[in-house]
Amino acid sequence: MKAVYGLYPDGRAAQQAVNRLRAAGISDREITVLSPQPMEDYEFGRRDKATWMWWIACGGGLVGMGTAFGLTWITEMSWPINVGGLPIFAWWPNMIILFELTMLGAIVATVVTLVVSARLGRGGGLYDPAVSDGKILVGVEDPAEAAIPELQAALGAVRQALVKTI
Amino acid sequence: MPKWGMAVDLDRCNGCGACVTACHAENNISTVGADQAARGRAKHWIRVERYWEGDFPDVRLTFRPVMCQQCDNAPCEPVCPTYASHHTADGLNAQVYNRCIGTRYCANACPYNVRFFDFFNPAWDKPLHLQLNPDVSLREVGVMEKCTFCVQRIKAVTIQAKADNRPVADGEIQPACAQACPAKALVFGDLEDPESAVSRLSKSPRGSKLLEDLGTRPAVTYLERQS
Amino acid sequence: MSQPARQTVNADTLLPADQRITSDLLRPLMQTSWRFYLLVAVFGSIVAAALVAWLSQMTRGFGITGIRWPVYWGFYVTSFVFWIGISHAGTLISAILRLVNAGWRRPVTRCAEVITVFALMIGAMFPVIHLGRPWLAFWLFPYPSERMIWPNLRSPLVWDFFAINTYLTGSVLFLFLPMIPDFAVVRDRSSGLRHRVYRVLALGWRGTPKQWHRLETAMQIMAIAIIPVAVSVHTIVSFDFSMAPVPMWQTTIFGPYFVAGAIFSGIAALLIAMAVLRRFLHLEDYLHPVHFENLGKLLLVMALLWGYFVFNERLVTYYGNKPAEMAVFWRTQRESFAPLYWTMVTGNFVLPLVLMGIRRFRTITGCVIASIGVVVGMWLERFLIIVPALGHKFLPYSFGIYRPQPVEILIAGATFAAMTLLYVLFAKFVPIISIWELKAGEHVPSTLIPPATQEHQLGELHL
Repeated sequence: MKAVYGLYPDGRAAQQAVNRLRAAGISDREITVLSPQPMEDYEFGRRDKATWMWWIACGGGLVGMGTAFGLTWITEMSWPINVGGLPIFAWWPNMIILFELTMLGAIVATVVTLVVSARLGRGGGLYDPAVSDGKILVGVEDPAEAAIPELQAALGAVRQALVKTI
Repeated sequence: MPKWGMAVDLDRCNGCGACVTACHAENNISTVGADQAARGRAKHWIRVERYWEGDFPDVRLTFRPVMCQQCDNAPCEPVCPTYASHHTADGLNAQVYNRCIGTRYCANACPYNVRFFDFFNPAWDKPLHLQLNPDVSLREVGVMEKCTFCVQRIKAVTIQAKADNRPVADGEIQPACAQACPAKALVFGDLEDPESAVSRLSKSPRGSKLLEDLGTRPAVTYLERQS
Repeated sequence: MSQPARQTVNADTLLPADQRITSDLLRPLMQTSWRFYLLVAVFGSIVAAALVAWLSQMTRGFGITGIRWPVYWGFYVTSFVFWIGISHAGTLISAILRLVNAGWRRPVTRCAEVITVFALMIGAMFPVIHLGRPWLAFWLFPYPSERMIWPNLRSPLVWDFFAINTYLTGSVLFLFLPMIPDFAVVRDRSSGLRHRVYRVLALGWRGTPKQWHRLETAMQIMAIAIIPVAVSVHTIVSFDFSMAPVPMWQTTIFGPYFVAGAIFSGIAALLIAMAVLRRFLHLEDYLHPVHFENLGKLLLVMALLWGYFVFNERLVTYYGNKPAEMAVFWRTQRESFAPLYWTMVTGNFVLPLVLMGIRRFRTITGCVIASIGVVVGMWLERFLIIVPALGHKFLPYSFGIYRPQPVEILIAGATFAAMTLLYVLFAKFVPIISIWELKAGEHVPSTLIPPATQEHQLGELHL
């Protein structure tokens, strides 16, 4: 894939690079930032924060609760067996099953949302192994041919930048 | 619907142990040998508990045959994960060997300690294997077993009575222990029938239930010894 | 291996420079000494012996154990409850500290989560090991069978099944998710087969802000979800006892008592694991004495809480004065089980109070000694709940004495070898301290740090 990017040693340099790219007319959506850890003390680290995940987790919990209710009701009522004089469908013990499957539903829903929304397992996209060495990557994927020199200049203008074009 | 129960007259019981032997014979309960018995592996579905009261020379010996009490509020039933221990409509606590996976929770929950675990596959020295009762299944290692009020005899009589189109007479069903007792201390019958012997005995002023305050509501009434 | 010389240290966070963090924490993955193979061989053979013992139990019959009428639960159920208890380490440290944003948790979370997952796996084996017919254990799973019968959802053992499975699923995911960025680091630093394996494990992780946000949100939700699950798991394990009318079992205190005991033993296990890792993987720059101090204080709090629960349980029983209960009461306190009982009290209460309460003794060594005492004491506590009561219920003719046999001792003892083995293997393939979380501590947004109480990420915390 084609891309122009710079590798920066710390957050401040990376933030400057992002600002310069914006000044060069690149929209936020086209700027790729990769960091070795979350860096929420910088503005670039706060992108894309909004998520539905909490709601989906609650939804998953409700699905779990419904499953548990169905499981207890259907299995206990389909063959009513007397054990120790307890009612066939007893709320106190069934609430335990309800609770466990509710939590399981919430947990599984969370993980599935994570995998899907973070695009885990799909691979592809711009990457440089230097990121795991501690560098922060700021760049543009698939830039217009004509814009490349301008981008290189913008990225390289920051101190200690290492600009690469692929 | 009948509700099976028993009455045990402690005045009549002399601790002979015939009930224990008969139960072993009827229900294909293997003996485990002296070694294993000493290690607590004996499976006496009915056992004669013997207690010494007082100090010598004023010692008093009491006997009490204890078998599964077939409790209405059996603590062994809700805890079985596979429904192997459950309550039947005619008041028995059923133990389904095929469904038992051997967690032994039921035995821990039973306050009377009348549930037994098969620690080994049963074995009978020849020719004793020829005397096995074909009406009762053999239990493999890893399952729980206990007194069933000789449910095979209950079923046999009730089926025969139904075929003959008549009700089951009182005293017609005799579990092995009741049948073998020489003192007629064990009485079995239908508690729902007010005329049956067991009903009348269970209403006796001498009658009480074992560990009654635990709330298990057993179906066995013990008639207090008067001497 | 000699300790590497102290190089550049970040003055603010007392951590080494970024580069050295990565290389230090990846060293166990990249370099293997003969010691590793020796450890695996020794512990592996103990575990193998235990597996052989279990196999012989299944083929020769359950009778080779010491289980007997009426003590039908012994070492296996003790081990089950013990290991499920240990598994509460990860939840408390990782989830709760994550939620309150305690910075000092960062080097500790993965160590703790690993303990949880492996302790759960080991503990969850015991409901199968202690079965009379373990090959039918799958009947606990609610599946539509041709006999149209389902598990008894009113049974505490089935609740166990649901709870432990939920907790195990949650814990495995809770452990695995933050490992993904670290797998990416290993992926980028390795070649050949190792690179291919870690590339699969890293699930294509790149490190965009969106991915970080999603990961952290997922961790937040999981942390909130896993705490009630953990509480419920050990409460439900306690229901295995309190749902049976056994003297001194049918008490409402078991739920909270077991949960507190679980957290207690979990912290102890974590302290031991951290001390061992610190020494053998040379993590002196990452696991500072202050971590041990903080966890040691938690251990002290839990010891006091344990003492409080035991006092409650025993005082109420004492005043209740029911004959069957008092018989079991004295059996543990004065009669045949007294030596074990007082050892338990020493290990669970006296030792932690002295060693963790007195500042001079709250060193790493002191923490380890106290923790070993707690581990021993908590194992004894489970044993003393189960065996004395079962052997002495209501009808004296049916009382009995339990004598554990070699097969049980071997299997119960081998669980410790199994835990160590799994831990050693884990530390070989995954960085035992989360690299990105450690470094993320330097980038916490100012809004999250309360202005009045600037808490250093790894600094001193005075009581």
